[in-house]
Amino acid sequence: MHLVIQALILGSLTGGVYALMASGQTLIFGIMKVINLAQGAFVIVASYLTFSLFQMTGLDPFLLIVITTPIMFILGVATQWFLLKPLRPDDAAELSLLVTFAVALGLEGALSLFYKTTLRSIMPGYENHSWTVWGYQVNEVRFYAFLLSIAMLGILYLLLQKTKFGRSVRATVQNPMSAQLLGVNSKAVSAFGFGLGVSTTAAAGAVFGLITPFNPGSHYDLISRLLTIVVLGGMGAIGGSVIAALMMGVGAALVSALASPIWSDFTFFIVLLLVLLIRPRGLFGAKVRGAL
Amino acid sequence: MELRTSKLSKRRGIVATVVAATLVSTSLVASLGTSAQAAAKPLTIGISLSLTGDFADSGTAAQKGYLLWQSDVNKKGGILGRKVAIKIVNDASSPDQVVTNYTNLITQSKVDIVMGPFSSLLTIPASRVAKRYGYSFIEPAGGGPKVFLEKNPNLFFVQPAATTKGGDVFADYILSLPAASRPKTAAYVKLDDPFAAPLADNIKARFEAAGIKTVYDQTYPSETADMTPVISGVAAAKPDVMVGGTQTADAFAMTKAMIQLKFNPKWLFLSNGASSPLEFPKAIGLKNTEGVFTSSDWYPKSTAPGTAAFIKSYISMYGGTAELIDSTSAEAYSAGTLLELVAKKTGKIDNKTIIKTLHTGSWPTLEGNLSWNAYGEPQGAYLLTQWIGGSLKTVFPAKIAQHAPVAPKPAWVG
Repeated sequence: MHLVIQALILGSLTGGVYALMASGQTLIFGIMKVINLAQGAFVIVASYLTFSLFQMTGLDPFLLIVITTPIMFILGVATQWFLLKPLRPDDAAELSLLVTFAVALGLEGALSLFYKTTLRSIMPGYENHSWTVWGYQVNEVRFYAFLLSIAMLGILYLLLQKTKFGRSVRATVQNPMSAQLLGVNSKAVSAFGFGLGVSTTAAAGAVFGLITPFNPGSHYDLISRLLTIVVLGGMGAIGGSVIAALMMGVGAALVSALASPIWSDFTFFIVLLLVLLIRPRGLFGAKVRGAL
Repeated sequence: MELRTSKLSKRRGIVATVVAATLVSTSLVASLGTSAQAAAKPLTIGISLSLTGDFADSGTAAQKGYLLWQSDVNKKGGILGRKVAIKIVNDASSPDQVVTNYTNLITQSKVDIVMGPFSSLLTIPASRVAKRYGYSFIEPAGGGPKVFLEKNPNLFFVQPAATTKGGDVFADYILSLPAASRPKTAAYVKLDDPFAAPLADNIKARFEAAGIKTVYDQTYPSETADMTPVISGVAAAKPDVMVGGTQTADAFAMTKAMIQLKFNPKWLFLSNGASSPLEFPKAIGLKNTEGVFTSSDWYPKSTAPGTAAFIKSYISMYGGTAELIDSTSAEAYSAGTLLELVAKKTGKIDNKTIIKTLHTGSWPTLEGNLSWNAYGEPQGAYLLTQWIGGSLKTVFPAKIAQHAPVAPKPAWVG
C-alpha cells in the first residue's frame, strides 16, 4: 500500500510538470491547427536559458521564469512570423509539421554547438530536497512545479476567457473567416497564440532542468510524450491535456513501481490506443472546431 | 625545300633536346625524391572518428588522445625513425560511413596502419574492413560482446577487459568480505542496453552463487526520463546492495531519484555515469557523490605507469585540468603506445608484425598491463573506484588501492 501511495504522489507531481508543457502545445494546435514538433526543443532551450542565467546571476530558477517567459514568447512569435506564416494556407497543416521539425533540429544543432552534448542540471541547492510526510517522500521542486503548473493554467484560462485577446483567439479558432470579417487580425492572433504556447515552455524548461539532467537531444523523448498527452486529452483541449498528463504520470509511476519499468510507457500507449478506438477525438476533444 | 628541311630538323633537334632534358631532369628529381622519401617516409595511420553526430563528444575526446600521442611520439623522433602522420576522417557517427572511410583510407590513401573509431557500433563494421585487407586493428573504444563475437584475430581492444565485465571487480570486492559483513540482499536495476544490462547480470550471477538473495531485478527502457517510480520500487524491496547497470543520463537521473526518495543502500555500484570525474558531481552535486562505487579503466588519479606524463602533456597541449580529461583520450593514446611498444620490441612496424607480436606477452599502457585472447578480448580487470572525499579513488584490488573501501555508504546530503 505504501508503494501504491508513493507512486500516486510521484506520478501526480510528474504529471503536473508534463501538463505545463502540454498546455502550450495544445493551445498552439487549438489556435492554428499546427502540430508543433518543436515544443520539446523549446522546452530544452528554456532549460539551457535558465541554466545559463542561473549560473550568471545566481537568481532562483523559479524567479528566472519572469525573465525567460518573454524571451520564449518572442522566440515563438518569431518562429510563427518568419517560418509558419509564409506557408500557403492550403498546405500549411502538412508543411508546418516539416517546418516545426526543422526548427527542432535546428535548435538542437545550435544548442549542441554552443553547450556541447554534456548533460547539465540546474542546481540551486534544493533540487533534490524532499519533505517526508507520513513516511512518504514529496519532492520540493516537483511540488512547486505542480503549483506553478496550476497557476499557469489558471492564467491561460483567464487570458482566453476574460480578455479581448482571448476572445479574438477563441473567435479565430471557431471560425477564422468570420473572425476576420468582424475585425480580428487573425495573423496577429496566430503569431501571439504561437508565442503564448511557446512561452509556457519557459516555466516547463526551468522545472525540467531542475528535476532531470538534460542535453540538446533530450527533446526527442519530450516531444513524443507531449504529443501522446495532447492526443489523449483531445487536440486543442487544455483541460484535457492536464487530465491526460496526470493519467500518464500516475499510470507510468504505478506500473513502474508495482510491475516493471519496461512496461510503464507501453501501458500508457495501450490506454491511448483504447481511448482512440472508442473516442477518436481524445478524452476531451471537441466534436466541432472551437472548444478551448 | 632545303630551308624547310633544315628548319624541320632544327625544330626536331630542339624538341628532342627538350624532351631529353625533361626526361633526365624528371628521372633525377624522381630518384632524388625516392631516396629522400625513404629516409623519412612518414608512418601513416588512418582513423575514422565520430567528430559530429551522436558520438561527437567521445569522438572528439578520442581525436585528442590520438593527436596527443602523435605529437609525443614525434617529439621522441617517431617510430623507428619515421615520423607518425595520423589522418583522421569524420564518420558522423554512422556505421555506413565508417566502412567507406576505412576502405578509402586503406585503398585510396594507402595508409600503413589503421586504428579504431569510437563505439562498438562503429568498431564492428570497421574491423571487418581492416580484416579484409589484412590490416591490424588496434581499437580503443569498441568493447561490447558483439565485437569479440566477430572472431577477428586482427583486433585488439585497448581497455583492461570487455565492457560487460566492468562490474566483475565489484563482485570480487564484495565476495572478498568476510561472510558476516557481506550484504544479504541485492537489487539490480538495469538499463535496456547491450552494455549496461549484461554487466549487472554478470555481477548478479556471482552474487547469487555466493548466496546473496536477489530482492529486485528489473530493466528499464532508455527513454525513462523519470527514475523516481523505479527507485520507489527498489526502495520498497530494502536491498543491502544496489547494482545499477547504467549509462550516463540514466545514472544521473537514478542517483537524483535515490536522493529525492532518501533511499540509501549500504553499497551502491553504478557501472557508468558515476565513473565520469567531471560530469557526475556536476549532475548530482559533489557532496552527494560520497561512497558511490563504480569501475574505471583510466581516470586522472590512476596509478598506471605513464599517467603523470600523459596528464602533463595533455594539459600543455589542450589546457584545462586533469579532471577534464576524458578516459577515451587515454584509451586512444594507449592505442598509439602499443604501436611504439611493438616497434621497440621487434624493430619492425607492419600489420603482420603487429598482429603476431600483440598476441603474446603483456603490454604496459595507461590502461594497465594489457593482454588479449585470440579475438582481441582483453584479459585484465577494471579497477574498483569509489567517490571518497570528493574524488574517485581506487579501492580494490587491495594491492593497488589508494584508499580502503568506505562501507556502509554515507547518507545523501540532499
